[in-house]
Amino acid sequence: MSKMKSVSKTRQIEMEFSILRTAMAILISLAIAFLLIATVSDTPVRDFITLLVGPLKNTSRLTTIVSKLIPLLFTGTAICLVNSAGQINIAAEGAFFAGAVASTAVAIIPGIPSVIHIPLCILAGAAAGSIIMGIPGMLHVRYDVVTIVASLMINYVALYLGLYIILNPLRDPAAGFEASYRFAESTVLPVLFGNSRIHIGLILGMIAVILGYLLLYHTKFGISARTIGENPKFAVYSGMPVGKTIIGISLFAGCLAGIGGTVETLGNYQRFMYGGLTNHGWDGVMLAVLCHNKPQYMPLAALFLAYIRTSADALNFTSSIPPEIINIIQAVIIILVAAERFLANWEHRTIVRSTKREMEAQGGVK
Amino acid sequence: MLNYTFIMEFISSILRMSTPLILVGMAAVIGAKANVLCVAYEGMMLCAALGGVLGSAYSHSLLVGVLCGMAGGIFIAAIFAYFVLYLDARPLLSGLALNTLANGGTLYLVYLLTGMKQNTSNLVSLKFPIVHIPVIENIPVLGGLVSGHNLMVYIAFISVVFVWFLINKTSLGIRIQAVGKNPDAAASVGVNVRKTKFIALLLSGILASFGGMYLSMGYLPYFTTDMAAGRGFIAIAAQNMGVGNPILTMIFSMIFGSAMAVGNVAQSYRLPSQFASMAPYLLTIISMWIMGIRTRKKRLKAGRAGL
Repeated sequence: MSKMKSVSKTRQIEMEFSILRTAMAILISLAIAFLLIATVSDTPVRDFITLLVGPLKNTSRLTTIVSKLIPLLFTGTAICLVNSAGQINIAAEGAFFAGAVASTAVAIIPGIPSVIHIPLCILAGAAAGSIIMGIPGMLHVRYDVVTIVASLMINYVALYLGLYIILNPLRDPAAGFEASYRFAESTVLPVLFGNSRIHIGLILGMIAVILGYLLLYHTKFGISARTIGENPKFAVYSGMPVGKTIIGISLFAGCLAGIGGTVETLGNYQRFMYGGLTNHGWDGVMLAVLCHNKPQYMPLAALFLAYIRTSADALNFTSSIPPEIINIIQAVIIILVAAERFLANWEHRTIVRSTKREMEAQGGVK
Repeated sequence: MLNYTFIMEFISSILRMSTPLILVGMAAVIGAKANVLCVAYEGMMLCAALGGVLGSAYSHSLLVGVLCGMAGGIFIAAIFAYFVLYLDARPLLSGLALNTLANGGTLYLVYLLTGMKQNTSNLVSLKFPIVHIPVIENIPVLGGLVSGHNLMVYIAFISVVFVWFLINKTSLGIRIQAVGKNPDAAASVGVNVRKTKFIALLLSGILASFGGMYLSMGYLPYFTTDMAAGRGFIAIAAQNMGVGNPILTMIFSMIFGSAMAVGNVAQSYRLPSQFASMAPYLLTIISMWIMGIRTRKKRLKAGRAGL
């Protein structure tokens, strides 16, 4: 009984340290950000404050946070899913882009009522996304192709194939710049509050997170997937359908990323206007690390990233500091959170001390 | 159109496209021999590309430029090695994070030092010289093939021999292979596993630096944002296809380089440039797929023989 208690105490300390590591990572990266800003800015304190609380300054920036949050919910959850199954599949980037292209192809068709048109767009986006993320999964299962390399390559295939489609058959010559035809009026996503830019993508994104969580933690399929990720040999020997699970989870993750691309395009633009990959997939990778692949933490992590991105915009608006500085902050956070042994000695000492204390309390070994 | 000048120009374009891939491919071979999943080559290339430009621009010395470039690549390699080997960070994420760091960090430095936000075209930096090999350069076809390329093109091919020799013929190389294949066995005979892997990654960093410097001091005369453009990843693919063998990796790097060169030609003939740009990536996927079919067949055969 007391042994159980001691184990749970250890678990709790490990949990606390996991949170502490994340907090320390954020603090250290903010300190680095301050130093960097100080070197290029004449008003470092003002700019640093903009970085910290700039996004809260007015409602338009608050809306920006939410609208930046929406696509991250999709790609982040998608990466949580594939990562949980031990697949380093970063094709969420390409799937997001492909989803945007495919839904554009549907969205420019005129004369379909909204109730049908929007679901059709989402379906097209989901299908395109799942093809892009499914291919590396399938190649891995059937032909032993290294998923990370295949998924990196397929991102570029999705990009160039997508650009070809947008700039040839779907290009609007009357637009005056490189963009697709206008989306039909019937594809404008319903807005949630008044005339803000916050559209139903937010609700769909939350649904994606919940579905991801339920799938991973409350279905047999999810248990298989997580077992494959944690202990592939055990999964094989216990007769789990390893190949099918990996392909299935890749397809589903691709669906989510594709829908992300769909709502992002339809929700924010009147035409398809991306000229390159959008980086939402890479953001998803980072968020999945921050969440330890648990979709239930995704809204919080995505909110954090959306917040610092909005800070970067605010900085870009109020100073001459290049917004890419945010990339440095992001990198420092990932690498410190990924470093399992960062603060490990302290963690170890704390666990040993707590166990000793418990043993003493029992009057056992001193 | 298929005249002598066109063919010669096309071949030298293949060499131009292949050079960075070969160099980074060799970096990937060493990383793979040490059995570390390193994807930070993009970051190493970017830092080296910027280091080379800044070093040579401020010192007016190519040597200082090269040293600064190498320092850039080693910087990323060392952080990667420290986090992965000593702090147990997951290698993939650390690699990706360092690529992001290099992307943001190089832009920051460019802005801090030159006030530009995209590239260093306002700096006068040095390029690697073009090598004219005496006597051979006057032989009609051979001269055009072998002589008159950027110094780094020759270094790329020399690096293949160097890496082959290092891995197979030196005690360091054999130790690297040992810690990659069976770290426990290597440790039991007194090889310091972490230290050996660390050295391997630093060597990788140096090779990747040369690939990066070629981009900003040969291929283009200045540094621009994100100029590695996925080459670090293509090199990893080439290494994968070449199953860690330096010579096979070189051949696959050149195949990818040729696909890029074909893409450039197609673009100049107004074929849809997207297909040209897509070619090397699609080719990588298809060739990995074909390799997969072959190894799977082999394994099935071996399995049957075993029965």
